Amino acid sequence: MSPKKPITRRSFLGQSAAGLTSVAFSSALMEMLLSSTGCKSGPGAAAADIIIADDILAKAVSLLMGKGADFGDVYVERAAFDSVMSDDRKINTTTTIEKGVGFRAVKGGRTFYAYTDSFEPARLYETARYVADAAAAPTAASAPGVITLTPLASPLAFPMKPLPSEIAVSLKIDMFKALTDRAWSADPRIVQAIQFMREIIRQVNIATSDGKIARQTLGLTEIMAQTFVKGADGQLQAAFDQRGAYAGRDFFTGENSFEKVIDGSVAKALRLLEAVDSPRGVFPVVLAAGENGVLFHESCGHGMEADLVFKGSNYKDQIGKQTAAKGVTLVDDGTMESFPGSYSFDDEGTPSERTVLVEDGIQRNYLCDKIWGEKLGLKSTGNGRRQSFRYPPIPRMRNTYIEKGAVPAADIVAATKRGIYIADVGGGGQVDVITGNFMMGVGSASLIENGKITRPVKGATISGMGIEAMKSIDIVGDDLKLFPSAGRCGKMQSAPVGFGMPTIRVRNILVGGKGEAWTDIEGGSK
Amino acid sequence: MNFKKEYLDIAQLAVERARKAGAGGAAVAAEAYVTDTESIQVNVSARAVEQMSAVKEAGIGVRVLRDGRLAFGSTNDLSKKAVGDMVDGLVKKVVYHTDDEFNVIPGAAEGGLAADRLGYEDLGSYDERIAAVPVQDKIQTALRMEAAGLEYSPKIAGSMMAVYQDGTSYTYIANTNGVSGWFRQSGVGAGVEYTAADGDTRESGSYQNGYVKWADFNAEEIGRKAAENAVSLLGAKPVPSAEMPMVIAPDIAIQLWSFIAGMLSADEVQKGRSLFAEKIGTEIAAKGFTLVDDGRLKGGTSTAPVDGEGVATQTTPLIVDGVLKTYLYDCYCAKKGQTKSTGNRSRGGYGSAGGVGTTNLYLKPGDSAPEAIMAGIDRGFCLTVVLGLFAAIDSASGDFSIPSAGFMIEKGKKTVPVRGVTVGGNLFEMLKAVDKVGSDLTWFQSLGSPTVAVSHIKIGGSGK
Repeated sequence: MSPKKPITRRSFLGQSAAGLTSVAFSSALMEMLLSSTGCKSGPGAAAADIIIADDILAKAVSLLMGKGADFGDVYVERAAFDSVMSDDRKINTTTTIEKGVGFRAVKGGRTFYAYTDSFEPARLYETARYVADAAAAPTAASAPGVITLTPLASPLAFPMKPLPSEIAVSLKIDMFKALTDRAWSADPRIVQAIQFMREIIRQVNIATSDGKIARQTLGLTEIMAQTFVKGADGQLQAAFDQRGAYAGRDFFTGENSFEKVIDGSVAKALRLLEAVDSPRGVFPVVLAAGENGVLFHESCGHGMEADLVFKGSNYKDQIGKQTAAKGVTLVDDGTMESFPGSYSFDDEGTPSERTVLVEDGIQRNYLCDKIWGEKLGLKSTGNGRRQSFRYPPIPRMRNTYIEKGAVPAADIVAATKRGIYIADVGGGGQVDVITGNFMMGVGSASLIENGKITRPVKGATISGMGIEAMKSIDIVGDDLKLFPSAGRCGKMQSAPVGFGMPTIRVRNILVGGKGEAWTDIEGGSK
Repeated sequence: MNFKKEYLDIAQLAVERARKAGAGGAAVAAEAYVTDTESIQVNVSARAVEQMSAVKEAGIGVRVLRDGRLAFGSTNDLSKKAVGDMVDGLVKKVVYHTDDEFNVIPGAAEGGLAADRLGYEDLGSYDERIAAVPVQDKIQTALRMEAAGLEYSPKIAGSMMAVYQDGTSYTYIANTNGVSGWFRQSGVGAGVEYTAADGDTRESGSYQNGYVKWADFNAEEIGRKAAENAVSLLGAKPVPSAEMPMVIAPDIAIQLWSFIAGMLSADEVQKGRSLFAEKIGTEIAAKGFTLVDDGRLKGGTSTAPVDGEGVATQTTPLIVDGVLKTYLYDCYCAKKGQTKSTGNRSRGGYGSAGGVGTTNLYLKPGDSAPEAIMAGIDRGFCLTVVLGLFAAIDSASGDFSIPSAGFMIEKGKKTVPVRGVTVGGNLFEMLKAVDKVGSDLTWFQSLGSPTVAVSHIKIGGSGK
């Protein structure tokens, strides 16, 4: 209900345990979705992606606009979710099939929305009329115009190799047996382990009142592992690792292999058994390259979403002003092949793009959809996203990252006398976009003493104000790393997002922990 | 919205189909769970409607059990063909799953209930007015809520989000072991967040709540409380690090109890993930700390006659006067733990097979008025805002360091607002340090708590 976005430390687990969706290993719809789509063959606008015929959608859009709405769209979706989970050494799968059509009419900046789970033309027209009536101005008496639809083409493609349907369910289970053994046999201190994989195929057709139709099919694969360990003193620690991509299993090799994900969660959990309580106070923090980019998604990105900017987030009226230290460039990119926040078109039919939000410390743009972009006098940046046909689109991030700088990454810790090094914030977090206050739990970190990484620490949190944290960045490394994350952003609706950053140092940030209070720490030499 | 016999029929058809699909091999048990919901959501901003969504939706989730192996599938296509195809697929692939002797589709022996034609017992969890009130009235209600906060003080600069939401749902359940029936629930709620500004300082404040009955819902009060929360924090500053007593407001306390209840899930305990393992009968909290889960609470927003697998709900005291009495069980965990289900199989809807979860969870009130609790503190902290609480508590160790805001308590009274501090400690130590429980039990949807006080906590801050 609140614009705050809590993610629990165990959000991935929570998602899998509570909302176990999945396998259509043998479902007719999944087979059909996969057999003929952009997922398999190429650009998302393939004719094979047609769910409902253009003439029916054209009539539905015409009816939707028949009572004087300013603009509107019809969003058709069908999706199949397959998952495999090994929990407590028990391997199970689930299957979910969903379909529906969302109707949106916008009049005077107000959105009216309804959906139906039927593809029957009569139900579509009935729902279109219902929304048109709801949006009708009291004086509107305009005759319904006839809208025709022209397909949009996109240069972007998101092939899924292999297709989930090309692997027999028995082979998937065998793969999970091997993964289960790998996790449980890694160390005698392991007391529990979970491995999870989800494959999602989403096919959408978006017909807009300006006569366009965008079609695309996206295949998402997500993998996660969580490991629980118990120390000799009885302390229990847990850690997880994850990857996600708009791609098939072939993508998950090397650093992104399922084996690496399992090994990563084991190693992080075991390190926590050796860790000391994090010091607390205001001092330098060095953030490792890669998935720590989630920190800037949380602390700054949300405040740059056009709806929140319009209503007075701490980023309101900041275009052209300094919102980060010189040398800091923040980008939101929806065009990166395979990355989880990428797509050909956003969920209102706008082509995706690479958007520079902050350039060398200066705010250049916001994350815009059609409605909120217009209210700010900006054009859509292709950030209008929705979780499914059940929701109208809202401004959301895609793959958000800080561009690389010039300082060799290895020099950054060396230049820091005292502080903490965060390998992986990974602990979930929350932001209050009005004040810009944010917090992040820290999953995996170590002390920095005299320019060297020493003991692991546990229980740290970092918090502060987004803009102040960005202005406090005093070193940007040369090692930009983009992380294909299985993370889901939860701003009222869930959406896959990616992150990235080079190694950076934030000179002063509030660190919370149970350990020693550090006061009067030098920021460290530059 | 009405009872729809065709949905009970499709649930029965699904489980029969599963049984027949297994003919010739090992027997198949199955369960079908259908939900049919209607809801309205209205977002308002600057005294105008920003968005209105009307939702009607139904779907089915099916669990199939064969030879100790369990599979789950769901769909929102309720045609006989779609449901039949899904069930056939589940029966086919379940053979590949891991066999687990504790998998169970409950019958009467496990507490499973069969209802008569009229459905399960009505526990007052439904109000027909919620679906019946015209949409225009709901829009006006949302507008009044936002306006009440905007008019609360000239320092209120605007709302960041103001949402009205209601829902009515019918749930139908059937299985091959004799469970069959239906029940209905309703809810209405709202939440709003405001910006307060005074000169260069800005603060946020929010409030949200939900109810079963339309008559209990007071939209203006929600708006005013959120505005009051924003304005009262204006000028908040950090304080220096120190250890002191802390008073916890009910809306923050419920989040702590909810976190603890998550660790009292028998599933977490049995899988070795909870620090409450092997603690039954031991003192884990202060005397006077009594935590109860009540699935049959009159007027509770999570009240239902049966849980997510058709087992009768009950009242379950979890912690009584500081002593841990039981964990929360569904049938799977009960079979594993050789005990009975507490009726706590929780499902997020037809699309989720669910797991162990709370129903209506509350801390039993004590006899101190909240003002009296405050009056006994010479210098302390009153916690009213937390950021990322669930992310800030490590469930494996109970350690936490939570970015927070609130007020100083000086000589028994709330004084200056505080922001930019962390509250640090350990959850288990804190439970034992609870020294006052207020008389003011306050509900926020399905979670309730009075004001509580702990004798000492570490406040970390950069203030001078």
